[in-house]
Amino acid sequence: MKLTARDVMETRFWTLKPEMRIAEALGLFREARREQGQTVFGMMVTDEEGRLLGMFSLYDVLLLLRPKHIHIWGEMEDLEVSGILEEACRRARGVLVGDVMTTEVITVTPDTHILAIIDIMIKKHIRRLPVLDQGRIQGLVYLSRVFDRLLDRLVVGG
Amino acid sequence: MPVIDHRGVLKGLKVKEAMRRQVIRLAGQADLEQAIRYAIKYKVNALLVEGEDQQALGVVSKTDLMGAYYAGLPLTTPAEAVMVGPPLFCQGEDSLESALDIMQSHRVHRLYVEGDLPRQAAGVLAYPDILGLLYRYCHRCDRARHRSAGAMGPSLKDYLKVREVMTPGILTFQEGDSLARVMEGLAANRIAAVLIRGNDGAPAGVVSKTDLILAYRHGVPVTEPARTVMNSPVRACEQDDFLDAALRQMIFADVHRLFVYKDRPPDLVGVLALSDVARFRCGTCRACVSSRIGPG
Repeated sequence: MKLTARDVMETRFWTLKPEMRIAEALGLFREARREQGQTVFGMMVTDEEGRLLGMFSLYDVLLLLRPKHIHIWGEMEDLEVSGILEEACRRARGVLVGDVMTTEVITVTPDTHILAIIDIMIKKHIRRLPVLDQGRIQGLVYLSRVFDRLLDRLVVGG
Repeated sequence: MPVIDHRGVLKGLKVKEAMRRQVIRLAGQADLEQAIRYAIKYKVNALLVEGEDQQALGVVSKTDLMGAYYAGLPLTTPAEAVMVGPPLFCQGEDSLESALDIMQSHRVHRLYVEGDLPRQAAGVLAYPDILGLLYRYCHRCDRARHRSAGAMGPSLKDYLKVREVMTPGILTFQEGDSLARVMEGLAANRIAAVLIRGNDGAPAGVVSKTDLILAYRHGVPVTEPARTVMNSPVRACEQDDFLDAALRQMIFADVHRLFVYKDRPPDLVGVLALSDVARFRCGTCRACVSSRIGPG
């Protein structure tokens, strides 16, 4: 049986708006974790018509928190920096999602074969792929879901 | 491990030991909107523009992006239309001193490090990368000032004051001045940020190149007044503050500079740059290579 994105995609997903502040966006991440029972590491960013504009992920948050001077003061072991993380978080909260999201998003269609999805995920080091049908978002394929489906086929007697 | 001798703390150190391996790259056909987003997202001042064959074509800096804003170029303009090229390269095996010579003679802030293939970047070397390394090694040098103060005496950080390191003089604009005028001032003086004064003459905020390129991305017209995009409050320190306190303030605020006041905040007298603080704080003797850090 042919296994495609349609079979493994998550059709219940959360989206963000580019004009959202990071604090608001991460509030949705927390809400999603509560609802889905697992940590969400990335969400799609859409415009008012629901068109995909980009992705906002954990990595974007980490980049925001990383101080631009880390290569200098990271060497200064004698410098007192208690409280710096709180300050970095305070600064990050006000940044707009649209200013730091990733817009070069690779997408697949509902008919993309699972092996093609695996190939993209390996080559591009990505863990989630939006599924688009004629420009409309249909779902999101997570690496973990792909793996779950493969387990069924790989385990003897599964 | 570098050889620590009496002529240069970093003698023997190679480019590959100081370079950063994460090079922020941009395809030549990528537009200016993407270039701005990358500069903000990765907190870098410049992006390497590459062709389809991953060969380096040029560099797009915040200055170039600000120039595009000033010129009224649409955000959809390809990055290669405003890049400066070709980029300057060095080799990972080159000595740090020779790389510094190239940076100073060409008045550039960074060199790209060539990989296995010609004109393909495997890393980037910028002044802050060298400063971080300097701090580590200068503390091992027996000529470092912090040691020469004596084992029982005060350490460098306890006696060096802001006034000894700061650059006197500041460029200021009024909050009602247009962004175009602010950009002209930044470009003419080759600086990264200016102080904005309120109508009462008191410091009201700061406009940096980062603020300007974000304004560009958000579609703010260059005729808008500086107050529209300025950052408040003004990060400042007193000229008699200890250097460590000023450095801590810069690190906490994630900024490259502090404005320096005398006696009270409205009387601003200079600017303290992170690179200068790091260079002095490392305790390096003036004869050493570290005194040459900076574009000169």
